[in-house]
Amino acid sequence: MNNYKIECISLNKQYKGRNVLITAVRDVSLKIEKGEFILLKGRSGAGKSTLINLIGGLIAPTSGKVTIDGFIVNQLNNKSLSNLLLNRVGIVFQGFNLLPTYDIYENIEVALAPRGLSKREIKKLAIPYFERFGLSEMMHLLPEELSTGQQQKVAVIRTLIRQPSIILADEPTASIDDITAGEILELMRNLCNEQNVTIILATHGIVPETIADRMIVMENGKVINQ
Amino acid sequence: MIYIFKELRRHKWRTIFSVTGYALATVFILLILSVADANKNDSYGVLQSTGTHFIVYIPTEANLCTSNIANGSVFAEGVKTMMLDHDMVRTIRNVEGVKDAAACLQYKMFDGVFQSEVSIAGIDTSSLATRTNVLAPAHVISGRYFSGRPEELLAEESFAAAHDLSPGDTLKIFGGKMIVAGIVNSGIRPVKADFYAPISLVRTILKDRLLCNAPNFDMNIILVEVADARVQDDVITRIRNMMYKFAVSTYNCYQPANRVMSIIDRSSIGLTGLIFLFLVIFSAKTQLTALMERFREIGILKSLGWSDSSLAIHVFLVSLIQSVAGVTAGVLLAFGLIEFLGHLDNPVFSSYSFRLRFGTIPLIYALSLIGAVAAGLYPAIRIFRTKAGDIIRNHM
Repeated sequence: MNNYKIECISLNKQYKGRNVLITAVRDVSLKIEKGEFILLKGRSGAGKSTLINLIGGLIAPTSGKVTIDGFIVNQLNNKSLSNLLLNRVGIVFQGFNLLPTYDIYENIEVALAPRGLSKREIKKLAIPYFERFGLSEMMHLLPEELSTGQQQKVAVIRTLIRQPSIILADEPTASIDDITAGEILELMRNLCNEQNVTIILATHGIVPETIADRMIVMENGKVINQ
Repeated sequence: MIYIFKELRRHKWRTIFSVTGYALATVFILLILSVADANKNDSYGVLQSTGTHFIVYIPTEANLCTSNIANGSVFAEGVKTMMLDHDMVRTIRNVEGVKDAAACLQYKMFDGVFQSEVSIAGIDTSSLATRTNVLAPAHVISGRYFSGRPEELLAEESFAAAHDLSPGDTLKIFGGKMIVAGIVNSGIRPVKADFYAPISLVRTILKDRLLCNAPNFDMNIILVEVADARVQDDVITRIRNMMYKFAVSTYNCYQPANRVMSIIDRSSIGLTGLIFLFLVIFSAKTQLTALMERFREIGILKSLGWSDSSLAIHVFLVSLIQSVAGVTAGVLLAFGLIEFLGHLDNPVFSSYSFRLRFGTIPLIYALSLIGAVAAGLYPAIRIFRTKAGDIIRNHM
């Protein structure tokens, strides 16, 4: 058993374009320790989101493998992968991926529902997060009725509330004000320090490098610096 | 389950369109089936009773009803016949497929007044088999039908015309005085005679007036009416098997009727099959469109750790609930519409007879559910076979 929580080995991902194959991730190998805070940097199109999705098992690699605690994510069966996503890996999507016809409280509720929690338990968990992010008065609004920043906060809450041991955050602060962004980063840093949560935070913007334990830079699908 | 109803409620318009689609398809199908069924029944009503009559007798060479007074014989279709016992009518009535049977006594003799052979058919005036094989009250063209008075005769139009007979004429014939009550034109029938009289009168004529010598005076012909043109061949075979000497005389128009009914049956089955196939395809298409529209959401739920099986169940239940709700609404709507159209005094709709065939309703439910399940299959398979990220990415 190695000490790495996450390991990518010769990871490649190609998408079929209309006439060409687009290589989004190219021969990426990296190791991330438990409780490490990784800042994944790179320009738009560098392959950060694809790498996040590959690590989370949301897409299958063209070749190579991703392991989490020694389990090969891309070889897990559907049930094991669902369990992994439900209990251990939380993903903050770049596009938020909120359910448009559910209000924001229900968006949080559906993330916890498969765990079999009661409505009261869900409420007890959710309310402090809504208060902390200043969304208490908006719990019953639809995502489209919120600003982009507020939607991003909901997406972050949806991930944090499930208390995963790995957080894969794709541009989680891109659309929010500096103060809230700072709070989210601070919260993540604390999760890392206090609960040994492994965090990979992808960004193309300005996030202080000091927040992370390590920075990985991607360019054209390749890791050029780690 | 709570998320399924929430899902249906939240996608209100999609749900309404989906349910309305089912409802309209159900109304449409029930209306078509109702009209088709009613028309089929009406056609059957006519065709089933087309040519469903025949006569049975036993031909013979000898004259079994001889008389010193009259030179005549009992006959059927131009040949002499045996006399039959009345119990035979009851026996034939009990043959499977027989709707009615009646006795008939037909006699002909040379008449000095008319200077020709004159025939008379004694009939059971209350019998259906008589109406189809010999004569019905509707065939009276002048005068009246039997009124129950004694010594009444009906004269066949051609004979009456040849001998200048009119209703009310009194004739000295068949050993007594008879009154022409009416003139009839019965058309082409298995039993044709110059005169018709109640069978009891003809029995009296033969037995008491012409003093015929016969084994009995019950009848010489059995008139048979069959329940359905499609079983007529079977009935004839069964009757022939009862006595090999029986001659059966029938018009073959029941055979084309039988064939037409078979064609209607096949068309009806084909039409119903096509309509139901449409329902299955329609319900599958409706559901599939609705499901594909929310496939991105399914991908999001999958990325949140919802299991593939729970998502597939979710998909199937949403689909099934909508189909059941739609068909239920459609059945109620169709019932109301059929009632309304059935009572509408409108020349367009009054030519149709609308009848709701309740037996098709469970079938419509079953087929729409099959459609809903069929529609859920593809998304369910995709849920199991596609990664969450790919679903989200492909359904932006």
